Amino acid sequence: MEGEMLKGHLDMIVLAALSAGPAHGYAVIEEIRRRSGEAFDLPEGTVYPVLHRLEQSGLLESRWVTADSGRRRRVYTLTRRGERALTERRAVWRQFSDAVGGLLAAPRSKGRTA
Amino acid sequence: MIPQYLDSLCDPLRFDPALSRCVRQEVEDHLRETVAADPTDDRLEAQRHAIANFGDPRVIAAQFAAVSLSRRSRRVGAGVIVALGTVFIAMKARVTWFAAMQLTMSDDWRAATGIALAIDRYAFWFSVIVGIAGWVYVDSLRVPTALDPAYRRQLRRYFLICATATSALGVTVICDGIMTTFRLLGTELSLDHLIPIVSMAIELGCTGTLAVHLRRMARRAPSGLSAG
Repeated sequence: MEGEMLKGHLDMIVLAALSAGPAHGYAVIEEIRRRSGEAFDLPEGTVYPVLHRLEQSGLLESRWVTADSGRRRRVYTLTRRGERALTERRAVWRQFSDAVGGLLAAPRSKGRTA
Repeated sequence: MIPQYLDSLCDPLRFDPALSRCVRQEVEDHLRETVAADPTDDRLEAQRHAIANFGDPRVIAAQFAAVSLSRRSRRVGAGVIVALGTVFIAMKARVTWFAAMQLTMSDDWRAATGIALAIDRYAFWFSVIVGIAGWVYVDSLRVPTALDPAYRRQLRRYFLICATATSALGVTVICDGIMTTFRLLGTELSLDHLIPIVSMAIELGCTGTLAVHLRRMARRAPSGLSAG
């Protein structure tokens, strides 16, 4: 999928990936990859500034945990505000998708009158 | 290979040491996990893949920088409002104290400080209006996905607004200092002077701290980062 097209919706995609539950950056990227059927091919590093930005906006919160490997890991969770934002964005996206779908659908042949 | 990559990502973020440390830890965890999940036996090749998939460190650093600058700008905006409120309280406390202690100025001094009083009032309310306008402006800015030229321009505009508010506040504090000195001149130093002196120290502290923060932000702004 076109990178530029994807960038415009990255916030919504990351919020949607976190709707499954708390996750660290790597797991968020894996979730995006899995749920998109590997269609989204973004540089992985792009997701981290988005996570920071969404946290700053109050849509996510994070905490540091220690993984089994012993490494410190930052786990992100959707906040109430984040859940609400995702619900709103889903509704807007459906409307947009239906509208574009309608426009792009092959036009029905009209009966021509002589 | 991973440490070098982390250096090239985190070095441009040194203007925000906490963010730089956090990004290093978070990205290192990601890269190590990616390498561990790579099916190839060649660890070096796995590291190379992980780094290539992560992306250009300069572009990612610019994205982080935009988030950091946005957070810092909002903090400065809130700092301006807090400083203005604190200076206002300190001024009112001092005036109330002067009235309670009946520490009035002689007519000669009153005439001489008339201009200072007018400048003081106008400068203070000017700084309040500009400070609030700056806060509203920075709050309305959308955090961009990268540190692009348009966002840099918006931030420059915002710093100019903050610098104007801080300068006007500085003028107010100078005028306050002149008038307080004239009021206390000729009186013997006693505990009664504590409130005016402490309130002046608070005003000076607030304005000085604000000026130092603004100067530090302007100097630390990551000029080398581009949106990519």
